[in-house]
Amino acid sequence: MSLTKYESQLREPLVNGNKTYGQVTNDIVHTIEVKPTRLWYIGFYVSVAFLLFGVYSVYREVTYGIGQWNVNRTIGWGWDITNFVWWVGIGHAGTLISAILLLFRQGWRTGVNRAAEAMTIFAVMCAGQFPIFHMGRVWMAFFTLPYPNTRGPLWPNFNSPLLWDVFAISTYFTVSLLFWYSGLLPDLATVRDRAKTKLRKHLYGLASFGWSGSTKHWQRHESLSLVLAGLSTPLVLSVHTIVSFDFATSVVPGWHTTIFPPYFVAGAIFSGFAMVQTLMLITRKVMNLQDYITLGHIEAMNKVIVLTGSIVGCAYLTELFMAWYSMVPFEQDIFFKYRIAGPYGWSYWLMMTCNVISPQLFWFRKLRRNVTFTFIMSIVVNIGMWFERFVIIVSSLYRDYLPSSWSVYYRPTIWEVGFYLGTFGLFFTCYFLFSKYFPVIAIAEIKHVLKTTGESFKNEMTALEQKEADSFYDEMHHDHHEEGNVKVAHH
Amino acid sequence: MKQKKYWQSFGELKSSENYQERVQDEFNELLDATSPRRDFLKYLGFSTAAAAAAASCEMPVKKSIPYLNKPDTIIPGVANYYATTYTLDGDAVPVVAKVRDGRPIKIEGNDLSSITKGGTSARVQASVLGLYDTARLRFPLANGKEVSTFDAFDKMVAEGMSGIAGKQVVLLTETISSPTTKSVIASFLAKYPGARHIQYDALSASGLLNANQASFGKRAIPSYQFDKAKTIVGLEADFLGTWLSPVEYARQYAAGRKIDQKNPAMSKHIQFEGMLSLTGANADDRFVHRPSEAAAVALNLYAAIGGSVSAPALSDDRLKKGIKLAADALKASGSASLVVSGSNDVTVQLIVNAINQQLGAYGNTIDWGTTLNTRQGDDAAMVQLVKDMNDGAVGALLIHGVNPVYDYFDAKKFESGLAKVAVSVSFNDREDETSVLCKFQIADHHFLESWGDAEMKSGYLSFIQPTIAPLFKTRAFQTSLLKWSGNDTSYGDYFKQYWSSKFGSQDAWDKALRDGVVETPASTSAGSYSGSAFASAASTVTAGKNSGKEIVLYSKVALGAGKEANNPWLQEMPDPITKATWDNYAVISFATAKELGIAVDDNYEVEVKKPVVKITVGKNELTLPVLVVPGMHKDVIAIAVGYGRSEKTGKAAANVGQNVFNLVSFNNTFSYSVANAAVEKTKETFKLAYTQTHNQYEGRDEVIREFALNEFKKNPTILKDKRDELVETFAKETGDYRAEGTLYPNHPYPGAKWGMSIDLNSCIGCGACTVACTSENNVAVVGKSEVLRSHEMHWLRIDRYYATYRDESGNDNLDDLNVVFMPMLCQHCDNAPCENVCPVNATNHSSEGLNQMTYNRCIGTRYCANNCPYKVRRFNWADYYGADSFPDNQRGKLDDSVMMMNEDLTRMVLNPDVTVRSRGVIEKCSFCVQRLQEGKLKAKKENRPLETGADGKWDIKTACQQACPTNAIVFGNVNDKNSPVSKIRNEEQTNRLFYSLEQLHVLPSVSYLAKIRNTDRQVGIVEEEHAAEAEHAEHKEEKKEAAAH
Repeated sequence: MSLTKYESQLREPLVNGNKTYGQVTNDIVHTIEVKPTRLWYIGFYVSVAFLLFGVYSVYREVTYGIGQWNVNRTIGWGWDITNFVWWVGIGHAGTLISAILLLFRQGWRTGVNRAAEAMTIFAVMCAGQFPIFHMGRVWMAFFTLPYPNTRGPLWPNFNSPLLWDVFAISTYFTVSLLFWYSGLLPDLATVRDRAKTKLRKHLYGLASFGWSGSTKHWQRHESLSLVLAGLSTPLVLSVHTIVSFDFATSVVPGWHTTIFPPYFVAGAIFSGFAMVQTLMLITRKVMNLQDYITLGHIEAMNKVIVLTGSIVGCAYLTELFMAWYSMVPFEQDIFFKYRIAGPYGWSYWLMMTCNVISPQLFWFRKLRRNVTFTFIMSIVVNIGMWFERFVIIVSSLYRDYLPSSWSVYYRPTIWEVGFYLGTFGLFFTCYFLFSKYFPVIAIAEIKHVLKTTGESFKNEMTALEQKEADSFYDEMHHDHHEEGNVKVAHH
Repeated sequence: MKQKKYWQSFGELKSSENYQERVQDEFNELLDATSPRRDFLKYLGFSTAAAAAAASCEMPVKKSIPYLNKPDTIIPGVANYYATTYTLDGDAVPVVAKVRDGRPIKIEGNDLSSITKGGTSARVQASVLGLYDTARLRFPLANGKEVSTFDAFDKMVAEGMSGIAGKQVVLLTETISSPTTKSVIASFLAKYPGARHIQYDALSASGLLNANQASFGKRAIPSYQFDKAKTIVGLEADFLGTWLSPVEYARQYAAGRKIDQKNPAMSKHIQFEGMLSLTGANADDRFVHRPSEAAAVALNLYAAIGGSVSAPALSDDRLKKGIKLAADALKASGSASLVVSGSNDVTVQLIVNAINQQLGAYGNTIDWGTTLNTRQGDDAAMVQLVKDMNDGAVGALLIHGVNPVYDYFDAKKFESGLAKVAVSVSFNDREDETSVLCKFQIADHHFLESWGDAEMKSGYLSFIQPTIAPLFKTRAFQTSLLKWSGNDTSYGDYFKQYWSSKFGSQDAWDKALRDGVVETPASTSAGSYSGSAFASAASTVTAGKNSGKEIVLYSKVALGAGKEANNPWLQEMPDPITKATWDNYAVISFATAKELGIAVDDNYEVEVKKPVVKITVGKNELTLPVLVVPGMHKDVIAIAVGYGRSEKTGKAAANVGQNVFNLVSFNNTFSYSVANAAVEKTKETFKLAYTQTHNQYEGRDEVIREFALNEFKKNPTILKDKRDELVETFAKETGDYRAEGTLYPNHPYPGAKWGMSIDLNSCIGCGACTVACTSENNVAVVGKSEVLRSHEMHWLRIDRYYATYRDESGNDNLDDLNVVFMPMLCQHCDNAPCENVCPVNATNHSSEGLNQMTYNRCIGTRYCANNCPYKVRRFNWADYYGADSFPDNQRGKLDDSVMMMNEDLTRMVLNPDVTVRSRGVIEKCSFCVQRLQEGKLKAKKENRPLETGADGKWDIKTACQQACPTNAIVFGNVNDKNSPVSKIRNEEQTNRLFYSLEQLHVLPSVSYLAKIRNTDRQVGIVEEEHAAEAEHAEHKEEKKEAAAH
């Protein structure tokens, strides 16, 4: 046992139960190898139903026009872009967990990173639908791409934040997907190796890209992970910064704010972690993974939630302060007359309650470790974050400069709601398939921490801690040679 | 010792051959050289080519056949212009029709007419669409069945006429001012002894005509000259919107209100009325009264200007003050005063005549030398006719241009009378409510298909010439009359003979037709006034009611009496005051709303569902949605006529609003107001489609500026100082606000730079520009269901703001109302916020300062619309014009009226120079770029510089500018120092000049001139210190007054 791997007993184990490597593999891969439960089928079909309704809603919109929605001459963006920003926000947690926490060497990330990354990818997929299908002529969407053409050539407008979005989101999606999939390779190989049917062996064989677990593979895998982590880290911050530019660079009072980038990033992490909580709490329960996604994991994420929630709260108050301090009447009006009051005042206070006030309860350790409470809060936070985007978009647009153009009350049509529900369908269809066909926890990485922070290891440590210093030293000295081999073996 | 073995895979454990091999190669960095990269490229190339080939489907080939013998005058793609005259309901406006490739597509005012000077109204602008109305009657009908030839039809009518021996033959028409038609009618009447011609106006001026008969011995209307009046007092007269000759009056009125900044002066306009009319909205001071008090108000005014009469006392203090104010102003102006009343009550008109006589207005602001011929109807004669019909005394009734079954107050009685008429013939253009009950229907041509003339004022002729061959099997009404009086000449020939003999030479006649107007002004006359009728009338005047609700029936600026109800452009034009479209409704005051328990709050503002009230007048009951409007007398309810047309009048007209003509009453003349109405709220709601939800400008004087005249005189640079402040604050270093305020480089404008100036003091808010823009630029009609969702497409709208002030006790004084109109269109910003947010460069800046929209490039993200501070960008939410790649898929999704606009016939009205926008793209005002290009080409071909108004020469006018009856809009090249727009900005109006939201540094190309009001009341946003001062002064005055008491 290396002293460098020593971890205080005060820290909770990251894997509960005295798991052996074999057990770990079994626990996680088991669900892939058996028939899904009835619950899974019900969930899956419901998701597909939502997805199909979404597809029909989008079909209506594409065939008959954006007039199928209730956005209007004043409120040009409504549920569409609200949903876009909301999903992109959710898509922040996965990469944050896998990249930034990797760089910060947070061991607890291993329990949740796989599912969180999957969630990121699915959320970004959902998010991407909105800017694409909110276009009046979606069949011309390729105009946004800078491809050589015979029209001059005519390039897209590099001044436009929407164009920056195109690059930011597509880059983010690509890197996240690569990161996620490269992390999956060893685990897919494990599933392949355990496969009992030919088809399964063949498919997982294809999916694992011929992973053999050789040293060279591991070496490349590790390098790639580090490179991708390095690439993703700035992306986590940049994507939502750029999304916030859609608003911050405009002239619309309530949008035209320099605080938006950090405020949006904090909000994104906030909502992303809430969504991870929602999914993880269900996953660990249904798939019996309580030993791997422990209360410690949940608490750690709740801490992130209370921190980011408070940052977001500060941003809200700063916005109000700046509106007052700026002495710009248009700003003051939008914030004090039409946002915190007025026809959409209810949405502002709903946002405030869900995002700022209720997460403060997470200062209590007891609540942080309460699964039911956490689950409810994770939903509340995401409702709040949806309304944050709604408040920013709709309650800024509906009463801007010229009072003559202020809008009638905006309510979504069934097709607008349907599109949103459809992305839920897409998201959960993907997630159900993921949970059925992929290891929802990174097996290889869990095995990596098992040896240093697993309960079995901690138990060994208990004995160690009680040892006299001298005898401990003797033992260490004696074992030193052997230790090197162990290290290699565990990679 | 136990041998420990660590292994990673079974291969390693068993040390298989395969494993050995792999371990050996593990760190071999060489790539496999046999990788089929070339094959990959081959496959890629093939599949791309295959996909391209498969995707390039065959395009349909459309063949077009050129003229075999091209007419000399028609060059494809080049428009011809024909002078003609818009006529409807007696109104006549000299116009020029633009004809492209044989079809009229746009109406412009005729500049040569000294009456309108090229001005038009919304209804005139929209009339071209009426030509292509799908609901027009397409062939003659007898007993509801098609008659194949005119000869057969004539024979049937002749048979009918022969069987009515002894009974009356009556020709019932709208007011006819055409000399030739009158001559045709005369010969027709001569053919049938005892035959009568009755003129009937649904919106009658009988009261005025009868009063003039009594006062001046002439049943006629004199010429009013608002431009000569220093003080104008309007008594329920909406002379800028709907009264008698609004286009003419608007021009005159605006002339008296143009401000010369070196010596600011303008006419003073005081309005007394029950409801808020367009004219009232433009008044400097405005006082409200009940309709039943109209005579008392007039008589009090007469007394106040020194008339020796005892007037019944009025109860309302504010009204009394108003009468004093008006009397003082009138007395000060003396003969340069003008009092007009829109009342159809002879008594009121007699009093008004006495007032004008007392002031000496006759011969000055009122000219009896030239009379107005657009209203000649006689209400009593009409009532007598209906009686005769019911008595069975009428054998034949020939109806032209009137629709009594719809608009006569006792329509049932007319209907029953009509049933007793043996030969009933309708010449109306469609199967309207009256026509369907007639035995014979033979539609007259549309005016754009007709020959004809109009003498709207005596000595002022305007000719009508056809601009297109009749689209349907219709026949000129006059031809029919000629035929039935035994004359086989067609009206066209008759007309030509009539005039060419009058003009003497062919050249003179050709010139008259080409110019469209021939004017022989008469000298001014004061008429010979006799006050005898006045004395007896004055003695009957009572104080009016002081309780209960009263109803005012008014006509909307867009729809008038409802003939053009099937014109979607007019239905969709927002009402100047309420900004509502596609409906009529009960306009009520805030006080009535409060009584009914209707809260006028945020919720009322943003919800299109409006409460419905039940209004009871005697036996009549009707339920209507309400709109709450300030400036209404607290007990007055105003309802527009012209709605509630029958199914057969057309898809746009049917089932829109309700007909309220049954509330009209007859007492010597028709009365358009009703006393003793009861109103109660119902539980129902009704969706009203209106385009403006919020009515105040919330103190945002960055948006719009208005001042009181005295304030402006005292401090003429008040606005300029503010603008200079902006420069000092944001362009400290260079003083160049334009360059210093932005990161982006300035656009150079080497050639022309387009700019527009809009004078808010001249703009009366009539909406002619909105419809002109719709017509010129193929702006889509979206229908009520879409307006309800704020999807209207107007490129040019008129923002209407109410400004009311809080009195000392903190209550909003809704009577003390200022209404401002602000035409709002794309501002063509030089630092446009829309331009830099478009991801695909679909909206960009031209070298002439235009903010251009490239529809082909637009992908419809709507980001530009969000980022437009003026909210002038319009998105094609649906395929309004059937221009889509998904053919005809909006049926059932959009209103029938929109589908009607897409029928082949209706689409003939489209301007071929302007792209019809497809679904999913943004559109907006282009400054009529097609006209700019045409004008530039013309100048280039003639090898001379472009003229944009310097010395009165114009190569280019935008559609809105051209339509405006008050010349509020001036457009031109701001790089040309001599163009009017440059002069206004740099020399003439520097003190009133402002740019809306200038502080945003978007650098608009549209400048505005501040609204000035000739009043002592508070106007606009008064700086706090000024307000405090004013308040102080007021207090002093009050104290003085108290002391005096």
